[in-house]
Amino acid sequence: MPRMAIALEVNGDLYEVFVEADRMLLDVLRTDLGLTGTKTNCLEAECGVCTVLVDGLAVNACLYLAVAAQGRAVTTIEGLARGGAVHPLQQAFIDSGAVQCGYCIPGTILAAKAYLDENPAPTEAEVREALAGNLCRCTGYQKIVDAVLSAAQRMATERIAS
Amino acid sequence: MVGARERHGVRLLSRFEYHEPTSLAEAVALAARFGADGRFLAGGTDLLVQVQRGRVSPRHVIALHRVPGLSGIDVDGGIALGACVTHRAIEKTRAFAGPLRAIVEGAEVIGGHQVRNVATVGGNLVNASPAADLTPCLLALDARVSLLSLAGERELPLERFLVGPNATARHPDELLTRVRVPSLPPHAATAFLKAGRRKAMEISVVCVAVRLTLDASRMRCLEGRIALGAVAPITVRAHAAERALVDQPVGVETFARAAEAAREACAPIDDVRASAQFRRHLVGVLLRRALERCAERARAA
Repeated sequence: MPRMAIALEVNGDLYEVFVEADRMLLDVLRTDLGLTGTKTNCLEAECGVCTVLVDGLAVNACLYLAVAAQGRAVTTIEGLARGGAVHPLQQAFIDSGAVQCGYCIPGTILAAKAYLDENPAPTEAEVREALAGNLCRCTGYQKIVDAVLSAAQRMATERIAS
Repeated sequence: MVGARERHGVRLLSRFEYHEPTSLAEAVALAARFGADGRFLAGGTDLLVQVQRGRVSPRHVIALHRVPGLSGIDVDGGIALGACVTHRAIEKTRAFAGPLRAIVEGAEVIGGHQVRNVATVGGNLVNASPAADLTPCLLALDARVSLLSLAGERELPLERFLVGPNATARHPDELLTRVRVPSLPPHAATAFLKAGRRKAMEISVVCVAVRLTLDASRMRCLEGRIALGAVAPITVRAHAAERALVDQPVGVETFARAAEAAREACAPIDDVRASAQFRRHLVGVLLRRALERCAERARAA
């Protein structure tokens, strides 16, 4: 099958790409669109470094056909910052010292964002469960969990303030 | 990244042709056309892994996400789940929080949120892993599956649908559209337990689902349904263990007898995750605990 022309909406921008049917969204984001914030690792939905949001839900882009993403809103880590300011989750990860090598971080932040959008006031146990699909070999997870909880509080405060 | 797609100016074409039907009629017409050369694509977390690894090579992939009518959850005493209902959707369904809770307990242990946001009930059943987690819950609830083709629709008990490891009674031109579960009898409760080596993101070493029905006094077991995962070539009902529950007093001795019958009846293997001996031991432990939990839940209701 030759390449198909598809329209992809990523971080609010519309792209037209020419892809074979069996190309994964992860590969198209990184190679065709140059959005390399989403990372490559296991390629079988086990580790979560490739986590992106599709219509607000966290998915593993390594097992998501690019052609199936047509008509859906894709969010990558590059889409979190607004007007030059990082998202509260990104700031919290920096402030909590949750970033070591950094490889798992974009996927983890997006998984956390999707979860906080659903459950804005989670317990620590709920955060750990929500991030079960994101493996980290560096941090032991504690500071990641602290960052998510602190971001949740900050986001709740901002919501009240606005 | 996923292998070289261009070499010396020569481009590698897609492994498969992609089709996106927008109706059930179109979907089954495509399946009839392609037969065994075609595979339906729901969430993709089983099919696409297998394609990447070269374990399956469909020439045609028929995507289901634009076919209406496959994502409904109807609860009216019994349950009807559309084949494309995701595991996360099951977790979030309030109506399953009571006596039907085993369905949520089975759905919520699969993968992480990323997998459960796209992985579907239908895809899980058709993949027919012997270690599937939701399947024992559906089996213990007397589930029936609906299969649609150009020839019409037929309904099978789930026990007859599961034929072997990764093998079902589905013909290549059939689409699994729906899973139905009858309403629970009065004074019945369900439970699901999974054993593994870590808290998440793993294939079960052993899993057990139980539906226990007590009498009106809640002192005697009327009947039980027991389904075991990862201890046989397919998810199985433990019929001998179920018989050991009929008209027996609720209690430790009854549950121990049922656990013993289940241990004898299962046929686990040694593999990378656990030995057959350990699996057999776990069946007894998990079944006892699941029966106790059901009894507590039935009495609390």
